[in-house]
Amino acid sequence: MQDSKDTLRDAVNSAFKSAAGHRQASFERLWQKAEQQHAASRRRYRCFAGTAATAAAVVIALNLHTPAEQDAYIEIAELLDSTYWSAPSDVLLPDREFDIYQDLPVLFESTEPAEGALL
Amino acid sequence: MRDSDALENNPHVSRSALEAIHGQLYGWALSRCDFDHATAEDLMQQAYVELLSGNARFDNKSTLKTFVFSVVQNLARSRFRRISSRLRLVKQYTEDSVTDAVEPTTNDEVWRAVRALPARQRDIIELVFCREFTVQQAAAVMGVSTGTGRVHYDRAKKALRSRLQDWAEET
Repeated sequence: MQDSKDTLRDAVNSAFKSAAGHRQASFERLWQKAEQQHAASRRRYRCFAGTAATAAAVVIALNLHTPAEQDAYIEIAELLDSTYWSAPSDVLLPDREFDIYQDLPVLFESTEPAEGALL
Repeated sequence: MRDSDALENNPHVSRSALEAIHGQLYGWALSRCDFDHATAEDLMQQAYVELLSGNARFDNKSTLKTFVFSVVQNLARSRFRRISSRLRLVKQYTEDSVTDAVEPTTNDEVWRAVRALPARQRDIIELVFCREFTVQQAAAVMGVSTGTGRVHYDRAKKALRSRLQDWAEET
């Protein structure tokens, strides 16, 4: 049985060798080409990453340089001279809005008299 | 342990280890692309690029040889899935017409018997008989279970024996 298997193995081996021919690819040559291809793909990746980073930096820089909204006051004379009026900028609104019921819980009215009057 | 010529992105793979199995790997790549040397070289180069870049990362779970063979197998599958069957048919036709015209030798007949096997049986026979794999390792390269690998292997041996016996009786 083992002999038969070995014979079969030898025959198949020989048939494969014959089909493949004697030409053998050089490891050095293929390895060198693979290294070159790998290096080229890394260069392309770095180039792409560099371009993307530059584009991002340009967008951020452009956004930083957009002029801030200027404070504007209503000129009485302008209001009186024209029937046209536009709402003032939001910049003029107070920074902090407060809820009168939450922020001032103490009632102004009092039942405690002080010097003949209610506080 | 890291070899002195270990790959940067694949610390468990060394250049010298790849060089040691290069001949057998080339044979495997050749049979993946119907013995077209240019395509096989292309396939090998791509496999080496995958190892260099770390896209195919070896983590010592199998032997390096099993791993690299399966890298070539997977690359070949993804590249030639569409055209391999047509290419094989064309090759088969041209080879048949050539071998019919001349007196067949033993090698030719064995080769025709091997070519007549289904793809998986042919692969496992090649891996075990020509590339010195165990059936278990060959099954791992092919991406099938060991049990399935054994079934393919046994069927392939039986089919080969039967075809070669028929041929011997005819001559």
